Amino acid sequence: MPKEEGSAPPTTEIVPRDRALREQIEKIEQESGAKAIAVALRDAETGLELHYHGDRWFHAASTIKVPILLGAFAAINRGDLLPHSRVHVRNRFLSVVENIPFRVESGRDANSAVHNAIGKMMRVDELAYHMITTSSNLATNLLLGVIGSDAVNQTLKELHVDEGIELRRGVEDELAFEKGINNMVTADGLLRILIMLSEGKAFSPALSRRMMDILHGQEFNQGIPARLPKGTRVAHKTGEISTVAHDAGVVYLPKRKPYVLVILTEWDPETTGRSRTIAAISHTIYEYLTQGPVDE
Amino acid sequence: MSDPASFAETPGVNEAPNFPLRVVDGLTLPPEYRKALRPGEEWKDATGFPRQLPRYFYEVPSWDSAMKIELASHFLLWEFIQVDVREAPPLRTFPRYVPCAITLLAVCLERFRDAVGTLVHISANGGYRSPSHRFSKNATPHAWGTAANIYRIGDTYLDNRGAIERFSLIARQTLPGIWTRPYGAPTGFAEDHLHLDLGYVLSVPRDVKS
Repeated sequence: MPKEEGSAPPTTEIVPRDRALREQIEKIEQESGAKAIAVALRDAETGLELHYHGDRWFHAASTIKVPILLGAFAAINRGDLLPHSRVHVRNRFLSVVENIPFRVESGRDANSAVHNAIGKMMRVDELAYHMITTSSNLATNLLLGVIGSDAVNQTLKELHVDEGIELRRGVEDELAFEKGINNMVTADGLLRILIMLSEGKAFSPALSRRMMDILHGQEFNQGIPARLPKGTRVAHKTGEISTVAHDAGVVYLPKRKPYVLVILTEWDPETTGRSRTIAAISHTIYEYLTQGPVDE
Repeated sequence: MSDPASFAETPGVNEAPNFPLRVVDGLTLPPEYRKALRPGEEWKDATGFPRQLPRYFYEVPSWDSAMKIELASHFLLWEFIQVDVREAPPLRTFPRYVPCAITLLAVCLERFRDAVGTLVHISANGGYRSPSHRFSKNATPHAWGTAANIYRIGDTYLDNRGAIERFSLIARQTLPGIWTRPYGAPTGFAEDHLHLDLGYVLSVPRDVKS
């Protein structure tokens, strides 16, 4: 079959690379002690795509904040909110289970900025920044309180990135957790959102860029970026609870187009080595994409 | 017999009070404001009892003026009008309108501050908010400018039973007729602030003639 100009590399070229990469990830998974690992990759430079258990559902942990970020910017795009709109910082939320009030523990937020503003107001863009860069749970629930879960889900649907994302509640809703009502994601679901953001197709190039700027501010860098060379920029969001550890982002290396990478992992609560495993997978993929398959 | 001279007017004593805000009749405001403020309308409280909303408001021209105008020695106007995105859009920009009874609330809070001996912080959305604010489900004295949600007194955050009940008792002892919301989670209770209010007080300044 004649090769079309500008099209992705033909399947016959992709499959062997994909297979070799899969084998390396499988090896890392076996050695890690993880209960499950999923990886989704799309490289804009080579066209390579990898979907390793890409449709397996995981507890989203804080990666759900990426769809919530999208929901916040959808409200900005609609004109319902402005980036500088002010939101009352209040630590009181209602569980999806019988509307029982709960609070976000200050000790579980890495940054005290939002907790220090209780009683006062913060801007929507400040909350979005804290929600992503230091994964503030308080900021997340405050934004979700203003936007609403239904509106976020509607946004995902309208953008055709709802598959693989289930937003059902705010974060730290322990009653919901006990009842098994959780936010869930697949690696492929997060990949679709990040591809859209990195290609500037979420609402407008300008709004996409603003979301990417926020993701670039990520302060937790023990996962995807940890073993990448100096000078690499990664716009990403991590997520971790007792049983999962994730990282999802866009990797910008010098002199090549970026690649989007999502790594989701599930663990027994007592197992260690989570960040190390994510970093190892990320490094393997980096080497693969930049140096070619070493095992072939 | 008194000396008529003793009744002579002290210069300036009967001049208009030195309060910089203009009083406006809410019924004369543009439609978008009337829709949001509902001046003089009835609004039912949580028990279904109808209450009459304020008709007269002080016009606050700018944030800068709100930052400067003292309603009491330790309370500036801005502290009573902090609202977030849940307030009706026309009421989030200046000029803003605040019921005239806000001055009574400020005097009460000043007395309360004297009793507690330290700073009293009113929360965002916790002073005046309009009947169109998304938090305003039933007639709430916040829409009369006669209620305050206090989230912090000095260094004490009012987010637990002990703190809320301690300062609630001080408020009730200091301010005759004040109502404080009991501690608790259900609707009608408060667990992360002290709500106090004077009830549905309507204030009509003397220079209002209509």
